[in-house]
Amino acid sequence: MKSESKFDPKIMEELIKFGKNIMDAPKLVSAPDEISLEVTPHDIVQKIDKTRLLHYRSLTEKQYKTPLLISYALINRYHILDIQPEKSWVRNLLLQGFDVYMLDWGTPTSMDKYLDFDDYVNGYLDSSVEFIKDETSTEKISVQGYCTGATIATAYASLHPESVKNYIATAPVIDGWRDTTVISNLAKHMDVDKMVEIIGNMPPEFMYYCFSVLKPFEQGIEKYVNFFKNIENKKFVDNFLRVEKWLGDTPPIPGELFRQWIKDIYQDNLLIQNKMYVGGSHIDLKKIDMPLFTQVAVGDHLVSPECSMPLHYAVGSEDKTLKMYPTGHVGMIASSLSQNKVLPELGKWLAERS
Amino acid sequence: MASKPQALTSIGPMRAFASNSKKISTELIQINENLMEFNKLVTEYYKQLSETWSEAQKKVNLKAPDVPHDTEQMESFKRIWIDIFDNDYTELFDSEKFGENYGKLVSKELELTKHWNNISNVILQSANLPSKEEIDEVYKEIHALKKRVTKLEIELKKKRDTKNEGNIKK
Repeated sequence: MKSESKFDPKIMEELIKFGKNIMDAPKLVSAPDEISLEVTPHDIVQKIDKTRLLHYRSLTEKQYKTPLLISYALINRYHILDIQPEKSWVRNLLLQGFDVYMLDWGTPTSMDKYLDFDDYVNGYLDSSVEFIKDETSTEKISVQGYCTGATIATAYASLHPESVKNYIATAPVIDGWRDTTVISNLAKHMDVDKMVEIIGNMPPEFMYYCFSVLKPFEQGIEKYVNFFKNIENKKFVDNFLRVEKWLGDTPPIPGELFRQWIKDIYQDNLLIQNKMYVGGSHIDLKKIDMPLFTQVAVGDHLVSPECSMPLHYAVGSEDKTLKMYPTGHVGMIASSLSQNKVLPELGKWLAERS
Repeated sequence: MASKPQALTSIGPMRAFASNSKKISTELIQINENLMEFNKLVTEYYKQLSETWSEAQKKVNLKAPDVPHDTEQMESFKRIWIDIFDNDYTELFDSEKFGENYGKLVSKELELTKHWNNISNVILQSANLPSKEEIDEVYKEIHALKKRVTKLEIELKKKRDTKNEGNIKK
């Protein structure tokens, strides 16, 4: 009796095509150093130590009076907020008529290991706010914090409410004990004193390890399978490479800042309990009394919604809005959803208060 | 007095060399001890990973027992495999046992680094170069000075602004 094979020849065809795509990749794909992540034109208006204050050039004739300063996260770099024109957070805000500044924390070296929360909150962030106030002749500005940048911005809004007109917290790291992510589990078991004493700054390699344990099979296999499947799709490849380049570029975090962040946020959870101190000053979340707009992503596997949402309930602001989006940590700031829903909603809220 | 004959025999830098060798060999012995503990933790780390792999694969086999025959089935099989593996590994990385072992593993790795730093310090000092601790002291001092300068600059700016406001009123 002749056995009948049920094997679909299309599988073989797809495998051959996939193999061909891998072979063709070097011809079709640019090298990482050929990709520039500087998308929207800007000027560097202030430099302090390794930090830079960027001022994006206006794209509209008229702008709202109140400028906006973005305090980006400590992990990876600010480029994700301007990753490509069609998905650029910054460009979208400029097109809506906002005057946008970005604080680039730079790349700390061994000699920066003693930089702490105080330097970031009362030093770099405060100097940027003061510079913008002087430059634009305004008494108060809007501040947006993203991820760990929002932890810094939250401390700032509590200590300097007189300078903040509106505060936007995007996926803020606030309540470490409620954080259900893998990152928080690793942070809770870390001997951070030993790490800072022996290594100094938090090395980027440690962050790359943390990235690798986040959905390791989706991110480590499926993502690259999709990349090779779409190797002929120029737009897909360009976007993929930009995000990959951004992912592979995370600076070290200054030792003292990292120590306080891990201890005060993840291990002892002092911020949400109003027990945290920065440079000897008490961080009381009730002192955040300006309009607050909190943005949370339901599928965030880096900062879980349970970690971010408590900010909304802890502040003293009467005018406050909490928005939840069906996306992830990066999807909230650099995707079609962010362009079509997240940013228009933020823009509408901010325009009414600028 | 008793050290005098000994000092006579150890001529110049060779005396330092002898004491440095002792320091380095002590560090090497400690590195060896640490390595044994490190190996235990690293074995546990890989054991947790491989046990999770086996469990996840069992679940995949139960959910998708047939070999996929066409592209559609292949795609669904891949989806099931990725979802089960991602869920099981996330559960592992989120667990107390993983967090605890990983924390100890990193801590042991740091201790190994510390011994290596100590050896480097001995070598640096033998070459008349500053040790890591000495450089750290300088960094700390620079940091403190920068803070003081910034505070003074802010105070100066405030005073200037007050003076300017006074002049405008006049």
